[in-house]
Amino acid sequence: MIRLDQISKRFVARTAGAAKQKNPFRRAAKQTVQAVDGLSLDAPDGRITGLLGPNGAGKTTSLRMLAGLLPPDQGRIGVDGIDAVAQPREALARMGILGDAHGLYPRLSARENIVYYGRLQGMDADAAAARADELARLLDMRALLDRRTEGFSQGERMKTALARALVHDPANIVLDEPTNGLDVLATRGLREALRHLRSPAGGAKCIVFSTHIMQEVEQLCDRVTVVAGGRRVAEGTVDELLAQAGCTRFEDAFVALAYGAPTRNGDA
Amino acid sequence: MLKIFAIVLGKELRDALRDRRTLARLLIPAVIMGPLMLMVISNLVSSLEAQAEQREVMAVGIDNAPTLRNYLERQTYKIKTAPADYEEQLRKSRLNEPVLVVGQDFEKALADGDRPKLEIVSDSANQRASVGVRTLNKLVEGFAQERGGLALMLRGVPTGLLQPVEVHERDLASAQARASQITGMIPMFIIMAVLYGALTAALDSTAGERERGSLEPLLMNPVPHFALVLGKWGAVALLGMAVAVLANLGYVPAQDLIHNETLQAMFRFGPAEALRFLLLQLPLAAGLSALLMAVAIRSKTYKEAQAGSALVITGISLAPMVAIMNPGAEPFWYYLVPGLGQYTLMMQVLKGQALQFAPVATTVAGGIVLMIAGLAFVARSMRSAVAR
Repeated sequence: MIRLDQISKRFVARTAGAAKQKNPFRRAAKQTVQAVDGLSLDAPDGRITGLLGPNGAGKTTSLRMLAGLLPPDQGRIGVDGIDAVAQPREALARMGILGDAHGLYPRLSARENIVYYGRLQGMDADAAAARADELARLLDMRALLDRRTEGFSQGERMKTALARALVHDPANIVLDEPTNGLDVLATRGLREALRHLRSPAGGAKCIVFSTHIMQEVEQLCDRVTVVAGGRRVAEGTVDELLAQAGCTRFEDAFVALAYGAPTRNGDA
Repeated sequence: MLKIFAIVLGKELRDALRDRRTLARLLIPAVIMGPLMLMVISNLVSSLEAQAEQREVMAVGIDNAPTLRNYLERQTYKIKTAPADYEEQLRKSRLNEPVLVVGQDFEKALADGDRPKLEIVSDSANQRASVGVRTLNKLVEGFAQERGGLALMLRGVPTGLLQPVEVHERDLASAQARASQITGMIPMFIIMAVLYGALTAALDSTAGERERGSLEPLLMNPVPHFALVLGKWGAVALLGMAVAVLANLGYVPAQDLIHNETLQAMFRFGPAEALRFLLLQLPLAAGLSALLMAVAIRSKTYKEAQAGSALVITGISLAPMVAIMNPGAEPFWYYLVPGLGQYTLMMQVLKGQALQFAPVATTVAGGIVLMIAGLAFVARSMRSAVAR
């Protein structure tokens, strides 16, 4: 169970508008960017919760705060009742996170990559290796397991990174745009794996799934939180969101909710 | 904490050792370069010495000067006839000694007191040839002096008038100090070896990890960040030390490859010296590894980190220059500067001096301070590096 309660994050950035300045040696002025502005999210166990939003909506920043990489300026983050800000390590041990960046070690095999993380999660080498085999079965990547990840395709890399994130069998799974760059078959495989993990047989995991692809949300998510401008603008099942926006197509509903634009029903 | 350290250390070492191609490219200059240079220099020194011992004069037209020939032969010099195209050969470094050119009417002009000309032909770009110029010049001057002395004596003037001042040269340098001009490069090569050994691993485990996007997921493991940094540093420092060990051992057989007896006698580098060298380098490897990581963690890409590390490498490799420019002086602040301190101490080992406790302790402390500061910086920067 993951709960974000009114979290906010503000960044200080330097403006890149050097062209406007007459003096190229003067440092650009500071500018604050409110990346996340009082965002709340409730992700219960045994459900796939979609985090849907346009680019720059604050999804990745929110997930980074959840992962303890950034401290939130305000708000609380709870993972299975643990305060993730005060006890980041305890919270991380209960989460498997596939973030925006998911680089592998190219000179290590897929198995070694997975086992390394298993051991960092406190597993012993044998248990981690056994778990790598199990995940390879689930993600259909057994043939890859003992190859170096150097020449892996995008999909192969994504699968390895996902297996690595799940090695310690976490109760909470957080995925940031996991289908980026995957082909149809790989996407379908991932979808099936996530459905399995959600089911009681798969451990009834709490899954948070961030994306900007409508189709995935429609097919996979039990509940959806729509994020725009760093805040939650709508929340509910796909059907509830359709009803709320008064649309028949989910894409239109999303545009209406996220951008506040007039619905263009039936406009292809 | 210790367990995480061991896990990270094991992974980083395995990762680095799998990069065989990089390792090989790094080992060749680090390990072979120094001994090779030493051999080349020893050969050069030997051939120069051989040339000096030869007591031969290469000349053109010596038949025009029986008096000069007589003088040279009395000095037990052998006279060789120079090849016709000696100028060409000197320029192309095929002829390695200067040539004495005697004019056709030398003997007559000498008898008439007309100050005949003698030419010593050399090429200053041809180092071996120009080394012989001084000897030849002295020889010819000796001849001129003898002739002048004789002429004065005939007129009843004491020869001492020609030389109102008596000049004696005294060289105070000990044999070992002279040798250190040549062996002085060895500590430098070894310090470079430590740097190069640590370099790739230091960059790969920091900036490389950022560039690949593997630092962010790594930090999402429930482990103290300092343990991660410590494990990475351990691998980097071990690699630096391993290359240092190899570089040190490389000089032990190199000693037998030195053909020059003088140099061999002056250059003592046995297992005992190698061990002392190594002990001096350990704190340096520890400190420099952390320094390289600290420079690299701020860089987003490997390339950027390389530019940063070039600064460190230049700084450390220039540090011994301070000592080379001021031979003999060893102020205490030398020991506070990483690189310079180790260089100074290694030179003392080469000169056969006993190491003093205070300087050694200072360099060790310097290495440890550098290490702690570097690692603290890396641990602090890692999270913000990911967040940017």
